[in-house]
Amino acid sequence: MAAVAFAVRQWTGPVSMLVVVAVIAVSAGIARRTVPFALATIPLVASILLVNTFLFPGAHDVLLRLGPFSATGTGLAAALQATLRVVAFALSVAVFSLTTSTDDLLSDLERRGVGRRAIYVIGSAIGMIPRMIERAGEIADSQRARGLDTEGSAWRRVRGVVPLAGPMISGALSEVEERTLALEARAFGAAARRTVIRSHPDAQGERALRWAVFVGTVALIGLALSGLLVLP
Amino acid sequence: MSGVDVSGVDVSNPPSIEAIRCEALAFTYPDGTAALRGIDLAIPVGGRVAIVGQNGSGKSTLVRQLNGLLRPTSGTVSILGRPVGRRHVAELARDVGLAFQNPDRQIFAGRVSTEVAFGPRNVGLDGAALDEAVTRALGLVGLADAGRTNPYDLGFSKRKLLALASVLAMGTPIVVLDEPTTGQDAGGIARIESIVEALAAEGRTVVTISHDMRFVAESFDRVVVMREGRIVADGTPAEVFAEAGWPALRSTNLEPPVAARVGASLGLGATPTEGALVEALRSASA
Amino acid sequence: MTEEAAGLHLRGVSYRYAGTDRRVLQDVDLDVPAGRVLGVVGRNDAGKSTLCLVAAALAPGVIGGRLEGQVSIDGVDSRSFLPHEAAQRVGILFQNPETQLSGTAATVFEEVAFGPRNLGLPLADLVERVEEALDQLGIVDLAPRDPQRLSGGQAQLVALASVLALRPGILVLDEPTSQLDPAGTRLVGDALARLAASGRAAVLVAEHKTDLLERLADDVVVMDAGRVVISAPARDALADGRLLELGVTPPARVSISRAAAAAGVETRLAGAAWT
Repeated sequence: MAAVAFAVRQWTGPVSMLVVVAVIAVSAGIARRTVPFALATIPLVASILLVNTFLFPGAHDVLLRLGPFSATGTGLAAALQATLRVVAFALSVAVFSLTTSTDDLLSDLERRGVGRRAIYVIGSAIGMIPRMIERAGEIADSQRARGLDTEGSAWRRVRGVVPLAGPMISGALSEVEERTLALEARAFGAAARRTVIRSHPDAQGERALRWAVFVGTVALIGLALSGLLVLP
Repeated sequence: MSGVDVSGVDVSNPPSIEAIRCEALAFTYPDGTAALRGIDLAIPVGGRVAIVGQNGSGKSTLVRQLNGLLRPTSGTVSILGRPVGRRHVAELARDVGLAFQNPDRQIFAGRVSTEVAFGPRNVGLDGAALDEAVTRALGLVGLADAGRTNPYDLGFSKRKLLALASVLAMGTPIVVLDEPTTGQDAGGIARIESIVEALAAEGRTVVTISHDMRFVAESFDRVVVMREGRIVADGTPAEVFAEAGWPALRSTNLEPPVAARVGASLGLGATPTEGALVEALRSASA
Repeated sequence: MTEEAAGLHLRGVSYRYAGTDRRVLQDVDLDVPAGRVLGVVGRNDAGKSTLCLVAAALAPGVIGGRLEGQVSIDGVDSRSFLPHEAAQRVGILFQNPETQLSGTAATVFEEVAFGPRNLGLPLADLVERVEEALDQLGIVDLAPRDPQRLSGGQAQLVALASVLALRPGILVLDEPTSQLDPAGTRLVGDALARLAASGRAAVLVAEHKTDLLERLADDVVVMDAGRVVISAPARDALADGRLLELGVTPPARVSISRAAAAAGVETRLAGAAWT
């Protein structure tokens, strides 16, 4: 969807994709949760609007003058198109990440042949994040209790890097052996294909739709780039 | 042989200074959990206090209020007569040494002696005074000849002693120990018990969190029982572990030490320690 | 396989970690017949954890090192097993619940299914094993919970269930309660007592908590510097006068009786008084 938004020129691409994404978001009930993703684009969008509106090369349909800078209609149009593209992109990413459960995704990937070790590495890395954050807090507490100054000047805080990062790293390393043993003790090294225990329903209709979308996207992009498709 | 540093104390206060005073101390975590719901606690200088209670009762939260890692949501905490206020943790660390439970969340140096020197160096010791503090602390925990060893070449229980040494070396008047005996064998527990005694003999105030009721009864003269952010019992081991105190203990998933249970079932009165039980048996059979 | 061969048997076992010369285990003889519980005590560097790794065929199988003597698992030398084959005969539980949970399971059910999944067992078989393991430990109601949000004791039971799901005939427990609070210790202790009482597995449990072993173990060995120095029925081994100097805290019952006797007081207390 993001690809189409960027490839198809002028207005049609971005607007139609935005509409599609918005429809999906609303029907999936996640419309409100996509807002932070859209808001994250504000800095980028602001600069796009300013630069394109005032500094679009070769435009002469001036709308208003601000000192040495003139806002042009062409510039504004270009700015808005670019904005819509960016927002469409952000929202497609939002919809993807909000509707996909990591566990289901990993399980499906494994079912389709990705090795158990890769799956384990990705899955456990994600799961480890909250634990690592907690651990970092505990380490900071221990070091501060021994007088490490984390509230003083920047120089003093730089000296804290080794006492703060050191235990993180050595803790992670010393865990490696224990974790390896625990994995082996649960037959992780066996050669069989792992049993799939999550269901991955794949209705005929959904399959057809996925293929249609894929083919359609490729076609649209091809046509748009080759200049055969002319749209407003 | 008193080594208590009272230089930071407000001299307009009467001479009987308290090491720690908490008044109506309450604390709620940012996520809304009310971990402390009005704690009133006064610990005299030189006291030996054990804080007990199941996980989640607020013990760790309380102890982190003592050196500024956490600040009260309401109420006050005073250390050696001065309120904690906005003082930095690094400054409070000169008065309150807190030894955490997991040494591996703390050890970062390649050598035992460097690790132990970290704390005292931060609170301003250097040169000969620093070396002396490190040597003394290592001697106290039984690692005197391990100065050049890599901490990870020591087993877990010795690393725990190392972490303890690094806090002891700071020479703080108040020492707080978080679960010092977990993972220790008989020798390690005996070592911890003798350390508590040595600290008390120096006039330092010792506070511990522990779920080893035998250790608590043998080495401490006061037990504070916590449940759901409140203190539900506070007294000597004999008082807290006497039969009348069992409901409070059980309400926070604790059992009195075996000696107390045996003494009670034989109708011998309060016998929190094995020594007390044997004494009671002797007088009963006399 | 004869009756005698069933269970775990060590003969003249010595072991050196990879890249070291010191024998951490020296000439160890040990028997854990099917249906019996053997307690292993000793100070912290006496070799208890190494013994557990050797008994579970993880040493030298996974961590290397040099093994002398014979470790026999249900009559077969442990060196002839690949790690995943050994895992189906000997299960091992370590002290730290956090490092034993895979961190990739959304529910306790998925976590306990980790082992059987690795073997590629058919789904029906897998479900049966998971339910059986959860039931054996009394934690069926934990099945839908997030493994990362359990208490220490609960997490240990989940780790144990995930080992039991492989249906090993021998169980090795390396200080299973040392990181737990009293509530967790009670939870795990009760579950182990029930497991032992069901009488089928051969269990080796290394522990500091001799009060717990009094309850669980049939026999006890005391280790010192890699050797077995005492090997006797639990009651006798735990009452041995040498325990303290070997770094082991005797059970409260024993030390109280001993202190009382030394004070000239006769103690003939009924068993119930000690609980």
